[in-house]
Amino acid sequence: MAEPAIDIQQVRKSFDGHVAVKNLTLQVPRGSVYGLLGPNGAGKTTTIRMILDIIAPDSGTISVFGQPSISGRDGNRIGYLPEERGLYKKMQVRRVLKFLAELKGVRGREADKRIEMWLARLSLTGGDKDWGNFKVEELSRGMQQKVQFIGALVHEPELVILDEPFSGLDPINAQALKDTVVDLRRQGRTVIFSTHLMENAERLCDAVCIIAHGDKVLDGTVAALKVEHGGHYIAFALGDPRPSAVADILADRSLVKRVDDSNRTVEIELAPNADAQLLLRKLLDVGATVERFELVQPSLHRIFIDTVGATGVEAGMSGHG
Amino acid sequence: MAKLWAVIKREFLERVRSRWYLLSTLLAPVFFGVIAIVPIIISARTKPSPDLSHVVILDATGTQLGVRVSGELAGGIYAAPSRAIVRAIAPSELAAAESIATHEVMRKHDPILGYLVLDSGTIAGRSERYAGRNASALIDVKTIEESVRQALLTQRLESEGLQPSRIRELTKVDLEMKAERLSDRGREIGGLANALFSYLIAFVLYTMLVLYGQQILRGVMEEKTSRVAEVVISSVSTDTLLAGKVIGVGSASLTQILVWTASTALVFRGRGFILSAFHVANVKIPIPHIGISVALLLLAFFVLGFIFYAALFAAMGSTVSNEQDVQQASLPVMLMLVASIVFIQPILLDPTSTFSKVMSWLPFSAPILMPLRMTLIQVSWAELGGTLVGLIAGCVLATWFAARVYRVGMLMYGKRPSFREIGRWVRAA
Repeated sequence: MAEPAIDIQQVRKSFDGHVAVKNLTLQVPRGSVYGLLGPNGAGKTTTIRMILDIIAPDSGTISVFGQPSISGRDGNRIGYLPEERGLYKKMQVRRVLKFLAELKGVRGREADKRIEMWLARLSLTGGDKDWGNFKVEELSRGMQQKVQFIGALVHEPELVILDEPFSGLDPINAQALKDTVVDLRRQGRTVIFSTHLMENAERLCDAVCIIAHGDKVLDGTVAALKVEHGGHYIAFALGDPRPSAVADILADRSLVKRVDDSNRTVEIELAPNADAQLLLRKLLDVGATVERFELVQPSLHRIFIDTVGATGVEAGMSGHG
Repeated sequence: MAKLWAVIKREFLERVRSRWYLLSTLLAPVFFGVIAIVPIIISARTKPSPDLSHVVILDATGTQLGVRVSGELAGGIYAAPSRAIVRAIAPSELAAAESIATHEVMRKHDPILGYLVLDSGTIAGRSERYAGRNASALIDVKTIEESVRQALLTQRLESEGLQPSRIRELTKVDLEMKAERLSDRGREIGGLANALFSYLIAFVLYTMLVLYGQQILRGVMEEKTSRVAEVVISSVSTDTLLAGKVIGVGSASLTQILVWTASTALVFRGRGFILSAFHVANVKIPIPHIGISVALLLLAFFVLGFIFYAALFAAMGSTVSNEQDVQQASLPVMLMLVASIVFIQPILLDPTSTFSKVMSWLPFSAPILMPLRMTLIQVSWAELGGTLVGLIAGCVLATWFAARVYRVGMLMYGKRPSFREIGRWVRAA
């Protein structure tokens, strides 16, 4: 694999005796959409701030595009949408965006051109009003979020970091955001976003890392994780009549952990170390007509609950996630 | 460097574009002009104080002194007829005459101002007495006293055989003292005007430091509470942000001061033209001469003072997360500024005392009190240089401290930190 976009090695960070991130190691492949998943207080925002060089880790190293943090990383290659969003309220939208662009090294006409392109694309201009000339505080919450989103992307960064981008977005704006993320991926950019909404992560992410209590619980591509955590879920359908012995098989706790019998289809979770093939054989042995038998891939949500729940999901410390 | 420039530009333009800035920059010179010119117009238009001759003179001297005083009160022999009522009385009737006169003074309609008692003590040049509604008006009392003195003098000289016209010639002395300050720069205008000018400079410096310092504090707090700081800090270092803020806001305030100075100078230069529009003759307004070296020194003290206080205000701003804490957070910095301004008066009264010297040297009070002292009296170059070096050291220390507090404070939300916690930030950052 090519050099990762982000390489985090053995990173640790504590505040006033409370450990926010402990020994985190992870790689974000270039050109991927990467999900940083975890409950509130897991250390997501602290990790992101360290990637951005806003705060320094106590120990360990973080490289972005091969550059270690201390050497004055080129922040112009990164776009950032923080979880707690805010802009200069009294400033005109265009001026705020120009300022944010200038902070990222995009100046003059080029900045103006890109700002116009984005304003039109996120339909802040072109309607009956040109919102670019309004003060930020005069915009609705959703529009302010769009402006901030433009601010994170106006310098065409190679790495985009979105901290809880979907929180507080209405469905239409959320869709616009998803479209943009897909578009960025298509252009070969790397997108990291942190979220605790698994449906979004499942649909968008190539790879994820689940962290809890500042520690990595698991990481990998979504496909690999599903295979790894799959095999425990089986959905099957039996033809009529169903032999009565089937009920005994499903009650066997050494084989089946949980059953959701919906008559036409039965969904089960296998007991640990139980074999799906054994279950199938037993069903056939009692004379059941198996019309369908499939290993179901678990949802990311399921994996999250299983893994994080196992290490205790009780919400961590307050404040930054 | 480009990022620093972007921050400076934003801070400067957002300040300058605000309505408050525009109004204060344009209206202040108009205000200065009004307070400089209106008094001249008013004093040219209004009549002199009420006719002091509207009194009763109880003359128990047995001479013509009462009549003479009456004439003097009306402004001498060239003046309008006197309204004074002269009553020649015997010394024994004085008490009764006084009670009648008191009644007349206390009368509601057409009251007379007061009554003057002339007796043998007056003839001897020892005493006179005046009772009236205007007895606490210093200038009126002084004028009456002067009239009696003049009348008595004339009477004595006449009894020695001099002609009245000759006496007037001889005794007419209109002395007015003009105080001039001597320094290395040569002869300068008088003490009072100069002191007022120095006071004005100190006061303007204080006002600008407080106003713009508070603006910086609020700006930092807004950046923090609106969470825009997080995006900005991901693009520029906190040091660059802090520096850009101080330079940007400082430039806005300096621009304002320069506009004020230039336009005020213009109003003073063009006052003849403005006054003639009101049909008032031009008046000489004493302004101390400010040489180029003094101007540069004043500029240096303002710039350094601004850096010192702006850095501290910014640091304090980064420790607050809500409006309620602003007052408390700015208190330590405000105390230093107030400690400077309360000593303006003692220093005005005695700019050479040890206390005045020390106060004008200390980095936190030097930006206000040294400009005051150096425009009041001659301060040696060695002293000025030493104070500037001290102030620069103070600025370095203040910005070092501020940068460290700012770095941690900008991302800390919640409860306002105690001073001990801030101390920990400074050590840890």
